[in-house]
Amino acid sequence: MGLTCQHLEYRYPRSDEWVFRDLSFCLDRPGFHSLFGPSGVGKTSLARVIAGEINGFKGELDRGEIKTVLYTYNQERLPGWAPIERHLDRITPEGREDLRAHLVEVFGLVPVMGQTFSQLSLGQQNRINLLRYLLQDFQLMIMDESLANVDERSKETILLEIKALFPDRYFLYISHNLIEVARFCDRIFLFRGIGKSPQAITFTGLNTRKTNQPGRDELDAVLLEIMNAG
Amino acid sequence: MLGRRILQFFLIFALGLLMLMGVKYGLGLSDYVIPGPGEIITTSQAVAQDYFFDTLNTLMVAVIGQCISIFMAFFVGITARKSTWAGTLIKAAAYNIQAYPIVAVAPIIFILLGDGFISRLLIAAMICYFPLLLSVIGIMAEPITDMEHFYIATGRMRWQLEVKIRAFENMAKLTTVIAGSSTLAMAGTIVAEFIAANQGIGHSIRIALYQSDLSRILTALFLIGLFLSIYQEILEGVGKRLTSGWILPKGVENEDL
Repeated sequence: MGLTCQHLEYRYPRSDEWVFRDLSFCLDRPGFHSLFGPSGVGKTSLARVIAGEINGFKGELDRGEIKTVLYTYNQERLPGWAPIERHLDRITPEGREDLRAHLVEVFGLVPVMGQTFSQLSLGQQNRINLLRYLLQDFQLMIMDESLANVDERSKETILLEIKALFPDRYFLYISHNLIEVARFCDRIFLFRGIGKSPQAITFTGLNTRKTNQPGRDELDAVLLEIMNAG
Repeated sequence: MLGRRILQFFLIFALGLLMLMGVKYGLGLSDYVIPGPGEIITTSQAVAQDYFFDTLNTLMVAVIGQCISIFMAFFVGITARKSTWAGTLIKAAAYNIQAYPIVAVAPIIFILLGDGFISRLLIAAMICYFPLLLSVIGIMAEPITDMEHFYIATGRMRWQLEVKIRAFENMAKLTTVIAGSSTLAMAGTIVAEFIAANQGIGHSIRIALYQSDLSRILTALFLIGLFLSIYQEILEGVGKRLTSGWILPKGVENEDL
């Protein structure tokens, strides 16, 4: 069994406003899932609660079989004192050099390996950041806008490759792009904000893979379903 | 070509001298109060060599004092960067002690240690140390969250890496603080020499003061300013080289994450 949240509630210290309240959902199987909703509904706060970076919440959070959670977000930076390749060398666990080489190629980062982080575009920076997390041990990875500023074609290639390479891991993908979420995610947890009940509704997305490309009609149906619920 | 600091010093010193002459001739003051340009030049030529070595002596003490205070400030600042009880205690102590004027303690140091090298060094280091410490604590206690997150999340964070990240991200600030602290170290040494020491340019200024010899004091000020400008120019140059060597890819061969 994966991740289960029951009646979770949280507000920041010295704040009267709830970030989320009575939030329940279940991540019952590995795969590529999404936390989706408008800005300010508590997606990032929930992600950080799940990752153990925020304590002081109430309710039940059962991580089940998931022992290692990694949370990554799109504004993270690598130190600028060495080129990207040197950083990746240092943080690649033994035996994962081939995986690193493969990811570097799929992520389209071969030409920038000799550059420092600040010399890259925002999209390249986000790809490098995500890549280094994918090389680590994890059972659940929360990707908070991790592919922001990446062009659509590269994003599709990267997401499909991640799904192909890590079929037995859990992913929670936070994005504001509804089409992307509907196309690539399996479970979609729609966050509706503190005033609505239930606060989160679960949908099933198209879960597109390399071998399974759903049609336009199916995508429209999922999009409509989510938009009507929001 | 003259450095920026040295050029600035020449301009300011010339302006100051012009103002002084303006006061002298504007108010019709005698040469006894403010000597004329001719006397200033003659006196300067007469004492230049002695004062040169006196200033060099003072600068040496200031440099050693500054090195000690930099080492101490980094040691304590790195130790105090954490929000542990020890860190909080060190920070509170540093903030409170720096509020006390160190110069006021100087006579006690001279009584206990005499008027030699050690007293001057200690006072220079103490005057330079606390402002430096506050800056280092401020820099080292401030997490660079977007850079440190990965290393914390993956269990790779070590104190050396944390310090390296924070120092790297604040290199320009650290360089400025260290270059600025050289003035404090020099001021501390001169104050110490002025109070009781038997060597250095501060000691020479004290003698000139007793003789009411403004020409000698102006010569001393010129040499102090010149030496300090050169020293700061060197410090800033080293800071720039360090920063560019760290940031530019061509300098990465010697780097280790």
